Amino acid sequence: MAGVNTEAINPDPLLSRQRRSMKTPRSVLIADKTADWVIRIGGLSVILAVFGIMVFLAQAVVPLFTGGQLEGQTKAALQSGGHKTLTDFLDEYRTLSVAVDDTGAVSAFHIKTGVVINAPSFDFGGQTASAFARTLAGGYVAFGFSDGTLRLGRLVIAVDVIDDTAAPADLRALGTQGDRTDGTAIYAKVSEAQLRRTLVKVELDDAQQITPNGTAIRALDYRVGGTAERPARSFITVDADGIGRVTLSETTKNFMTGKKTVKLTTSELPGLPPGVLVSGVLMTEKADQVYIAEKSGTVYRFDTRSFSAPTLAETIDIAPGAVDINVIGFLIGEQSIVVGGSDGSVNIYFKLPSDTASSTDGFTMVRAKTLEPHSSAVVAMDVSQRGKTFVTADAQGQVWMRHATSEQVLLRLSPGDEKPAYQALALSPRQNAVLAIADNGSAYAWDVDVPHPESTLQTIFGKVWYEGYPEPTYTWQSSAGTDAFEPKLSLMPLIFGTIKATVYSLLFAIPIAIGAAIYTSEFLHHKVRAVVKPTMELMASLPSVVLGFIAALVLAPIVETWIVAILMAFFVMPLGLFFGAYMWQLLPYRIQLKYGASPKFVGMIIALFVFGYLSYASGSVLDGIFFAGDFKAWASGTAGSGAPFTALFLLPVVFIAAWIIMGRVSEVRLSSLMRSNNRFKAGVADLGRWVGTLLIAGTASYAIASVLTSLGLDLRGGVVDTYVQRNTLIVAFAMGFAVIPIIYTIAEDALTSVPEHLRAASLACGATPWQTAISVILPTAMSGVFAAIMVGMGRAVGETMIVVMAAGNTPLIEWNIFEGLRALSANIAVELPEAVRDSTLYRVLFLAALTLFVMTFIVNTLAELVRQRFRKRTAAL
Amino acid sequence: MSAYVNTQAVAPDTTVPKSQPAIRFTDLRSSGEPFAWILGGALALGCIMIVSFLAMVFWNGATTFVPKEIQVVTMSNGAMTAGEATRTELYRPQVLDFQKLTPTQQNIITENDGFASRTLYRVGNFDIYNEDYRWISDFEVTKIEAPKDILLAERVEWGPLIGTLKSITVDGEIILLNSVNDKRFANIHDVSRERRERMSEIEKDEIGGINHQIEQLRLNVRRVELAEGLNSEAFAKAQMTLEAQVGGLQEKYKKLADEVLQLRDLNKRNTATFVEIGRQEKIVQMDALVRIYPANDLDVFGAIGVYLSRWWEFVSDEPREANTEGGILPAIFGTAAMTLMMVVAVAPFGIITALYLREYAKQGRLVSFVRISVNNLAGVPSIVYGVFGLGFFAYVLGGSIDQLFYPERLPNPTFGTGGLLWASLTLALLTVPVVIVATEEALSAVPRSMREGSLACGASKWQTIKYIVLPRALPGIMTGIILAMARGAGEVAPLMLVGVVKLAPELPIDGFFPFVHLERSFMHLGFHIYDVGFQSRNAEAGKPMVFVTTMLLIGLIFALNITAIVVRNRLKQKFKGSQF
Repeated sequence: MAGVNTEAINPDPLLSRQRRSMKTPRSVLIADKTADWVIRIGGLSVILAVFGIMVFLAQAVVPLFTGGQLEGQTKAALQSGGHKTLTDFLDEYRTLSVAVDDTGAVSAFHIKTGVVINAPSFDFGGQTASAFARTLAGGYVAFGFSDGTLRLGRLVIAVDVIDDTAAPADLRALGTQGDRTDGTAIYAKVSEAQLRRTLVKVELDDAQQITPNGTAIRALDYRVGGTAERPARSFITVDADGIGRVTLSETTKNFMTGKKTVKLTTSELPGLPPGVLVSGVLMTEKADQVYIAEKSGTVYRFDTRSFSAPTLAETIDIAPGAVDINVIGFLIGEQSIVVGGSDGSVNIYFKLPSDTASSTDGFTMVRAKTLEPHSSAVVAMDVSQRGKTFVTADAQGQVWMRHATSEQVLLRLSPGDEKPAYQALALSPRQNAVLAIADNGSAYAWDVDVPHPESTLQTIFGKVWYEGYPEPTYTWQSSAGTDAFEPKLSLMPLIFGTIKATVYSLLFAIPIAIGAAIYTSEFLHHKVRAVVKPTMELMASLPSVVLGFIAALVLAPIVETWIVAILMAFFVMPLGLFFGAYMWQLLPYRIQLKYGASPKFVGMIIALFVFGYLSYASGSVLDGIFFAGDFKAWASGTAGSGAPFTALFLLPVVFIAAWIIMGRVSEVRLSSLMRSNNRFKAGVADLGRWVGTLLIAGTASYAIASVLTSLGLDLRGGVVDTYVQRNTLIVAFAMGFAVIPIIYTIAEDALTSVPEHLRAASLACGATPWQTAISVILPTAMSGVFAAIMVGMGRAVGETMIVVMAAGNTPLIEWNIFEGLRALSANIAVELPEAVRDSTLYRVLFLAALTLFVMTFIVNTLAELVRQRFRKRTAAL
Repeated sequence: MSAYVNTQAVAPDTTVPKSQPAIRFTDLRSSGEPFAWILGGALALGCIMIVSFLAMVFWNGATTFVPKEIQVVTMSNGAMTAGEATRTELYRPQVLDFQKLTPTQQNIITENDGFASRTLYRVGNFDIYNEDYRWISDFEVTKIEAPKDILLAERVEWGPLIGTLKSITVDGEIILLNSVNDKRFANIHDVSRERRERMSEIEKDEIGGINHQIEQLRLNVRRVELAEGLNSEAFAKAQMTLEAQVGGLQEKYKKLADEVLQLRDLNKRNTATFVEIGRQEKIVQMDALVRIYPANDLDVFGAIGVYLSRWWEFVSDEPREANTEGGILPAIFGTAAMTLMMVVAVAPFGIITALYLREYAKQGRLVSFVRISVNNLAGVPSIVYGVFGLGFFAYVLGGSIDQLFYPERLPNPTFGTGGLLWASLTLALLTVPVVIVATEEALSAVPRSMREGSLACGASKWQTIKYIVLPRALPGIMTGIILAMARGAGEVAPLMLVGVVKLAPELPIDGFFPFVHLERSFMHLGFHIYDVGFQSRNAEAGKPMVFVTTMLLIGLIFALNITAIVVRNRLKQKFKGSQF
């Protein structure tokens, strides 16, 4: 219906020319056409731009869920001559890869082309290593030999940036991307005048005798701690007799002579079965825990905090039946243990505190995650140095890139049609390349791109079992102090925080706003209304940063001091208003009529003040009655009984019930009394009825509360619990200032726009204003009032500054009104300025914004639809 | 029908006994008095909340700059404290503290239900005491005096100083003096302050200008390098220019730096020696004293003078001491600049869109869907717009602009990070629904007959809009724009993402080409409140300033809103039937 008909607008130029024999000036036509186009294009583009917001947010979020991509694949042949490959490495920039075999030979090749370059080897003096270990970062390696000796060393892919001019003269080109080599190092172009040189360096210490009788070392793990000047190296060995030893090697350097002294301390691990066949040993960096995994599936966990007297803390069979443990390793942070089985299974274990555990130190190993199994035995594994990503390879030659937190398989890499038997697997430091070396000397390299391995719908919206947690939880903890930190990016605590803040603030705001709206539209004198309404509207524009500031720095300390009085005011003030009303009824009818408008409203304000003061003055008495004299201790559940406050909490419901029952029981007698021609008598009777009902309701609710408490139901631990200064109650108060004016204004508009003739008809039929308001106006305007509530809810959901400042920002999932919360909006405001562009956190925060957008869009659309229905309805009346 | 009938709406007819006699009086319950009081109470509570809120903000804001009396409190242990009493509260002494008290003191507390009253004194002298504020319980106090000779000095750093004047040093010569009203004090203070101003002028404008020139030359070299390469002739030329000019500039720089040094040395010779209440002496350079007055010896005019000069400093100066002292000129400037730029962006687009929706688009399902969506967008949380502004404006658009026009500054972002322009555009996007809705309402209130009349006279569609529709709708459109300004000025959350900072040393407008720097980050009144209230060293010290800032911000927004309401009310008759 709205708008102008387009047909009516186009003037017929021919007609005007005939009639007035004047030509429309060209400028007018041009201006018209220009305006036409500008307005059309401008209008459409603004509308598109506004919708573009959602599209933009969505496209920023999508990469979170796309897993990984394979970017390239190369294969190279190394001359390993049938020796066993012990390990392999990749450098930071995906330039060079290095493999070490059991004779100590080091082979290196350029990843992109597969060209082999020369690299220095470890000199084992003709021996063959029988055991090997390396640290996750730093390239520290340890070799064990069949004569019971052990040699420590280091293999580093050294990367440095040099000037163009400092490079050797005769360099061969490698591939098409500008990499060059002189046979021992690779030179890659960084900028106009600079090159990056990558080459391999090795160091090897002298042999140290570990097993006293020369028994072969079968398994080994190695950690480097301490400081650079005084490194503390620790390692654990298991020899062919099945004897495990922890060894601590401290190197001290004499300042005067510069001579290094190596001090070895060794102790034997008790309780290992003799001749145990070990598939892997693990040791923590602080050397306080040792795990020895038997091939058949039993893991022996030792407590080595006391280095001289290690104890066997726990023995657990983690691969029951015929399944063998093939590979075992720590993820970064040494909290999760990944176990690959001969059946292809890949499981992750955590060491968790437990009361019932059979272990001696109160911890037990728990299988936290069962990942998607390979179809054949797991043969190799490598873990990332920068996160919880790791790769596993199976006997069929399949290499899977996985992430421990999200439990997803990011990429399934396969070497084509071949089925190589891998001996070593490596993940590059930046998690962008995987290298696998097979027993026939073939090396396979994959370039991959896995930008957001830790996020799936499950990790963002579902429960996740994080490292060190006793069970799967919804947790938000995004700040990453170290690489070993596991980011916890569940949006659920934030969504919960938003809902909690909304619910509590609406519980506070709706009754006040709707009550005030009804009173304004139906009872208030129009002159007072002309002042009150714009004032309330003005309040809607109050900046929320101001509300947040006042709430957090002024209101929070006041509420903390006077919490009892404030809680009591919620009950005392309505009582006061009722009391005021019954007193008013006792006044002579003439006076009631005369002062029924503004003075009555002033009376209400006075009643509020008087009873507000009463609850303040009687604070300590009420504190004694309801909260055992110490509110905070009571709230934490350490003092007093919950029954009195539960009774108070139940009072409104019980009162209404009692009111209805009383009405039913004594209807006839009451109504004759109420209709007596002496209004004073009727008033007294009404007052008596109220007091009586209140007493009965009080007694009843106390009885109910006592029963509930004795049954173990207590408000404390639920909506009431430990008090913190910046809490949801404060948020509800402050948000009330923001939400009440909005709900009030829209609801009041809806109530006022109910056609006047309905009101007139009702009053003319003899209905009192109260009956008209409740039975005629409110039902008619109900959908408008509902829309008002929805709009208020939309504002509460998106409110940012109040929750940032007053809510304490603790991402918890509990309904305790005296505890803080962390809302989606506050979280975005606090964390997005610090988030690195395009990082996982950045995108998750975009997802939070999208969630907020969708939540408010739904609420607002609903409100708009209801409002339109309401408009149609009132138009029809 | 009897009057009783009207309860029928509540109780069905069948419950009414037929034997009831005719009733002349209304049932008292039907007036619903108690419930009406509850509704009225809700309104009363709302009004009380609002009034007390505003009263508190305005009272605190307006009294912050009033010079307060300095009380010298002698405590029962003989210690003396001098300070401004800021507020009093009741508290419950800790059990351990309670046991240490004398029986009389214990009695006083026990009689008071275990509560004691204490007063927070602003003691100043942070450099001596390491605290700005001190609580003193009433039961500790034996005597409170207000000596005439005690002074309050506001300093450039370390906050206020409270104490008495002992002497001043003028050019190294000590003069014993105990009143700041002495001419000699005022003279030397003025001279020192002027030197300080001159120093900051040199440092900021002249030395700043030289640095700017050197920076421009360096950027030019880099630009040539990127465009022509390292070995090109142009590069060598640019390098030459740089070397040739830098020498001269550095010479100038040295000269100015010497002048500053000289002034500084001169100022070092003019000091004042104060004695605080604990008899410790403190020597302060004259030029570091912003304002000094005898707090207990002020007449009414003196007090008004201090009050007004503090206000003037507040609105015309830059912040000091992590924003907790000094003025907020940059924040006022930033807020105004951002709001104005937002209006420049939002007004044409909002009006064009509304014109399109109302005058050009075919009214149908699609347009009503668009209308609902636009209405909804007004309810989308502001932080979402902030996220969009950061992701799209700053990173995508700004990043591309940097690549195209400012490659020489990379990797330092120019437009590729938050700034004034992006903040204004974000807020424009946030407020565009407000303008669209208001403009549409105003357009629809223009009677159709007027349009038809105009068209019938042969006017083109654009002429009709320009000469007939827009003038009639203009007041309504103005209301919408003012409301949008009010909303924009009060928003903080999105700005935290797109360019607001706690301290912007450079204003977005200055004397260096191109004079207006839209890429610069800026300060904002709302963010200032958040920052000082929550992130400063001492929230208590910043609180009075926050109240003043709050008052200013609320005042600004209310002024805008009231203008809109007045405009709306004046035109209400014209727009009968329209909904705002």
